[in-house]
Amino acid sequence: MNNSILKSALIALLLAGLLIVPRFVESPYALHMMILLFMSVAQGQSWNILGGYAGQHSVGHAAYFGVGAYTTMMLMHSKGVVPWVGVWAGVAAVIVVALIIGSICFRLRGPYFVLASIAVAEIMRLSAINLTPLTNGAEGILATEIPAFKIGATVITDFVTKVPFYYIGLFLVLLTLGVTYWVQHSKLGYFFQAIREDQDAAHSLGINIALYKNIGLVISAVLTSLAGSFYGIYVGFVDPPTVLGLDVSVQIMLICIIGGMGTIWGPVLGSLILVPLSEALRSNMITDLLVKIGMVNADSKIGLFLKENLSHAHVLLYGILVVLVILFMPDGLMGFVKKLALRRKREAV
Amino acid sequence: MAVFLQSLISGILIGGVYALIGIGLTLIFGVMRVINFAHGDILMVGMYLTYMIFTLLGIDPFVSVLITFPLMFLFGGALQKVFINRVLDALAQNQILLTIGLGLIMSNTVMLIFTSDYKILTTSYSSATIKVGGGVSVSTPLLISFLITAAITAALYWFLLKTDTGQAIRATAQDRDAAQLMGINVKRMSIIAFGLGSALAGTAGALISPTYYIFPQVGSVFTLKAFVITVLGGMGSVVGATLGGVLIGITESMSAVYISSGWKDVVVFVLFLLVLLFKPSGLMGKSRT
Amino acid sequence: MAILEIKNVSKFFGGLAANSDVSFDVHEGMIMGLIGPNGAGKTTLFNCITGYYPPSKGEVIFNGRKMNGLDPDKVCMLGMVRTWQKVRPLAKLSVVDNVMVGALARTGSLKVAREMAMEQLKVVRMEHRTNFLAGGLPIGERKKLEVARALATQPKILLLDEVMGGLNPAESEEIIQLILDIKQRGLTQMVIEHDMKAIMRISDRIVVLTSGEKLTEGSPQEVVSNPDVISAYLGEPHA
Repeated sequence: MNNSILKSALIALLLAGLLIVPRFVESPYALHMMILLFMSVAQGQSWNILGGYAGQHSVGHAAYFGVGAYTTMMLMHSKGVVPWVGVWAGVAAVIVVALIIGSICFRLRGPYFVLASIAVAEIMRLSAINLTPLTNGAEGILATEIPAFKIGATVITDFVTKVPFYYIGLFLVLLTLGVTYWVQHSKLGYFFQAIREDQDAAHSLGINIALYKNIGLVISAVLTSLAGSFYGIYVGFVDPPTVLGLDVSVQIMLICIIGGMGTIWGPVLGSLILVPLSEALRSNMITDLLVKIGMVNADSKIGLFLKENLSHAHVLLYGILVVLVILFMPDGLMGFVKKLALRRKREAV
Repeated sequence: MAVFLQSLISGILIGGVYALIGIGLTLIFGVMRVINFAHGDILMVGMYLTYMIFTLLGIDPFVSVLITFPLMFLFGGALQKVFINRVLDALAQNQILLTIGLGLIMSNTVMLIFTSDYKILTTSYSSATIKVGGGVSVSTPLLISFLITAAITAALYWFLLKTDTGQAIRATAQDRDAAQLMGINVKRMSIIAFGLGSALAGTAGALISPTYYIFPQVGSVFTLKAFVITVLGGMGSVVGATLGGVLIGITESMSAVYISSGWKDVVVFVLFLLVLLFKPSGLMGKSRT
Repeated sequence: MAILEIKNVSKFFGGLAANSDVSFDVHEGMIMGLIGPNGAGKTTLFNCITGYYPPSKGEVIFNGRKMNGLDPDKVCMLGMVRTWQKVRPLAKLSVVDNVMVGALARTGSLKVAREMAMEQLKVVRMEHRTNFLAGGLPIGERKKLEVARALATQPKILLLDEVMGGLNPAESEEIIQLILDIKQRGLTQMVIEHDMKAIMRISDRIVVLTSGEKLTEGSPQEVVSNPDVISAYLGEPHA
């Protein structure tokens, strides 16, 4: 009992800390990092509900991310619809897409489901490239002017600084965490996990497989779409490869795999590892560090090569991480930590 | 009519290369039940290998197949021994993720070495054509690559049907446990199958290098195509993959002509979903329950 | 009263008949034994009854309602539940969570479901395993877990597919007692079993299947003294 009070207190403290960060941190770069982190947690947690809990390993989540991002951006760009309205149009669109995908893909199991989910996402990406009048084709949509958010005549925010985005991102994290917590502690979570562990057994125990898979998909897709809309608005630009590409799907899935699927903290842990690491590579921090500690000369061939190329290497890092995780800790970091804890307990006894 | 014939012929020609890619994937799946998501990236490695051999040694890409094939075989065999072998009994999704990871490593390592610029391998015959008559002409490099593909496919059939190793591979694909009980070295067969699959993908990469852009991310397109081909033909069926490859080639070139080149891949994917839904065992596959 | 009527059920796979023209009734409160040599079509019949395969011909009538074409989940909700010959624990869930999944067929509340689950764990005498992972249990306890999980769905009839398969004599005896306990509670059961001694002890009536067809039906005494049954089990002289 004491333990859970301590836990709640810690979480409350952490949340309070996160809420007041923008008051003390002014560096846009630091806020940007936090926003990226939030986005990653939200993406991972969204996937986790379907992939981690219900065991349906979609490699096509870019479809929902991209449809959310595109719908919001298209409406803002061409019709002048404000994003906080456009988001809901995105959600509606994603529900339709998800139900279509669900009715096709959930008739398939295992690797066939994975292949079908990829195919559907690819169809979306190719459609975005080809439906030029709607999506502006391969060039994508650039829309950086966000109208001020007003209630009555009072301007709440004009989206000039990163602070409003910080809070929206934080809200998304809390929302996805909250939904996951709710799923885990309800009938839904039990049914999802039963389907994941053994679909036939679940079926025999009165669980309507197709219905619950579709519920899982819709929850997951709607949350992913919110993250997508947020991404579009924050970056101010969407194009087919950056929001609908296979890389996006893989990246979303990776967050959970590295952190641990089917656990509430897995995607958080995964994001805490992936985001800083890839950012460190992207911003040449690692090269600078190597130069600083004297391991490489900045002007030598190797130094120049690293500076030139390492910034593109974050995807390489993803690849290496996936391989390592699958080979050495297939249950992700959370699983690994749990195993260590168990071993310790056993040794203590 | 000329347009129809033209697109039919180019469909069949490119379909030959697709068949090679599909056969490689289906061999790997047949023997190990692993879906290789790095297949396109292995093809990409084959493309770059060919490119390097061409620029550094000046060897024609169609000739360098003789070097590419064994090198890619070793590469694939090593991949199997070091990585794939460890997940043979793991969950399907873990196998998929591992191969996705390997693919990412390959494409991004290549990107670090060669940058993400598009490379073009220009030979004297890259844009040459041969007139067949009736307004129909055939691209010379595509024709040569098709002939080489046909020769390799014939050799592969011979290998699988007539040699002891080939039969052992087929036996393993049919029933891994039974094959093991019969004294077949299943581990070795797996390495050979992955090596062979990689060699075929690498060779396909070599064969298309005179006519395709070469860039690190080119693989993912081919990975997806390889799936479509193998699912269409029935997972694990070599004959199915051969037919599936040609069928996809024709579908692509027909829809490029009669719908639009932008939508041709969409047509292929829609076809893929339809097959998955209505005949998941594929055109040649036996239904499994 | 017949709670379950199997009427002329046939199941074909391709050209092969796994079940052909099987008919019998199961009356309320009884234990119906289903026996037959390997490949006689016992599990196929279970699959046809519980909605995993639609029967090719014939009807399955449960509580006066035709079940053909209903999905397994509907079948379960109507009160018919089965266990699996090859046990299917939800491996990464705890024992109590496994049983709760069954109970959640009848309630939306986790609290109620937990109570229902604990009750069933008591029935199978596995309270001491409540928080163990199902995947780590020994086979005997996995079999009992299957039964508890099925019972938690509050069925009107329980179909047990070889719950004693692979168990040692002591464990089998425990299962026999469990089945008799469940009978005491008034629950109808249909039991597939290989162990003839066990099935003779627990069954009120027995149906014998061979090569997909019903060979005979009767009380354990009738069945055991039927020469056709003996030859089906011991094999034809030339086999």
